[in-house]
Amino acid sequence: MIAHYLQRLVEIFPFFLKGLWMTVAVSGLSLILSTIFGFLLGTLRAGNSRILSGVIGIYVSFIRGTPFVVQIFIVFFIFPEWGIQLDAFPAAIISLSVLGTAFLCEIVAGGIKAVEKGQWEAAASSGLGPIQQLRLVILPQAMQTILPPLVGQYVLLIKDSSVVSVIGVIELTRVGWMTVVRIPEGLMVFTLVGILYFSISYPLIRLSNNLERRMAVEQVRL
Amino acid sequence: MIKFKDVNKWFGKLHVLKDVNLQVAAGEVVVICGPSGSGKSTLIRCINRLEKFQKGELFVDNFPLHDHSTNITNLRAEIGFVFQQFHLYPHMTALENVTLAPINVRKINKTDAVKLGHEKLARVGLSDKADSYPSQLSGGQQQRVAIARGLAMSPKIMLFDEPTSALDPEMIGEVLDVMVQLARDGMTMCVVTHEMEFARQVAHRVIFMDQGELLESGSPDQFFDNPRTDRAAVFIGKILTH
Repeated sequence: MIAHYLQRLVEIFPFFLKGLWMTVAVSGLSLILSTIFGFLLGTLRAGNSRILSGVIGIYVSFIRGTPFVVQIFIVFFIFPEWGIQLDAFPAAIISLSVLGTAFLCEIVAGGIKAVEKGQWEAAASSGLGPIQQLRLVILPQAMQTILPPLVGQYVLLIKDSSVVSVIGVIELTRVGWMTVVRIPEGLMVFTLVGILYFSISYPLIRLSNNLERRMAVEQVRL
Repeated sequence: MIKFKDVNKWFGKLHVLKDVNLQVAAGEVVVICGPSGSGKSTLIRCINRLEKFQKGELFVDNFPLHDHSTNITNLRAEIGFVFQQFHLYPHMTALENVTLAPINVRKINKTDAVKLGHEKLARVGLSDKADSYPSQLSGGQQQRVAIARGLAMSPKIMLFDEPTSALDPEMIGEVLDVMVQLARDGMTMCVVTHEMEFARQVAHRVIFMDQGELLESGSPDQFFDNPRTDRAAVFIGKILTH
């Protein structure tokens, strides 16, 4: 029996690869968007405007304090009631990016705040404008603090992308559910799903560990 | 070049500058001293608006700093600032520290900037340290790089906020030597320091501050030998014994 299921599994393996590709697409796109907006909001969050920082803080708390499933339901099922009709794919990208942005923004803000105030003052005193101060002096130093947890957050984002299966995006987890209906060998099916997730997150975990070690060495130099 | 007129500043309820009046002419070297918390650092930090003040007028190179619409970024490019804690950029070599602003603010090309950077490092006696990172330099060397960084913008004014206070005693001399040379070359300088020798050698004037007030202004010899106020006399007594 097992051998028979295994053979079936091999037959439909291309379906799993399609699911894996969808997982990579969804998490990859959200990862890029989260990074862009995470740096933008993180910079503002660490900035001088109390109001702006406060508003971003509320957003971050809301995202952290609610389950991702609820967030994605709001985007997919509640938004249409306000006239915003989204397909599953864009809805998945938007909710994952909103989630990722919230976490990355805190990491970026933390990294920026960890840079001594004197660095801003030195950069400002030499005539650099605010954006130049950030780009040339502050961010390169903040990256030391930001990079390791940033990559770690990417791994979390890939794993969270499994939740978008609930709105019908046919990614890896969804493929697992669909397969289990036909091949009622749950352990086998979801072991395969797990291995495929691991194959994309493991290199990132290694990268994060590596960065952490490298940065620890660099910190000594600083 | 610099003109304070009835400048007042508060940190919350704390009145840190009280009706300060002060003029510094081009080419003048002014030493500002006083006990800690007297407002002397705040005073020079106002000159490039690292601190804002609430009342009074301040003109720097004819720019009205009390007018908040003044473009401070342009003015700051003309004012070098040397910090007590150096604040070199730790992720850049000495040369890169010096050339960053010339390249990005003055927009001079890389080759000229490198040439300029080497010139300025040579001026502070650190030609051989161009490729060193700040963490590889001693405190005295770091502070000299910081001075070179300020000079690279060919500033009209150099401000020094206790430039030798964070240094081990044996390194103070090398930094002061650079500053003495700078003063002799005719740079307009405001220096917050307790280094009496430096003041006597090159200062045109010594300013004494206490509790936010500018109490005395005179020649170094007059100030150190015959202070007019009791508070200054007490202060000089303290720095002499220490």
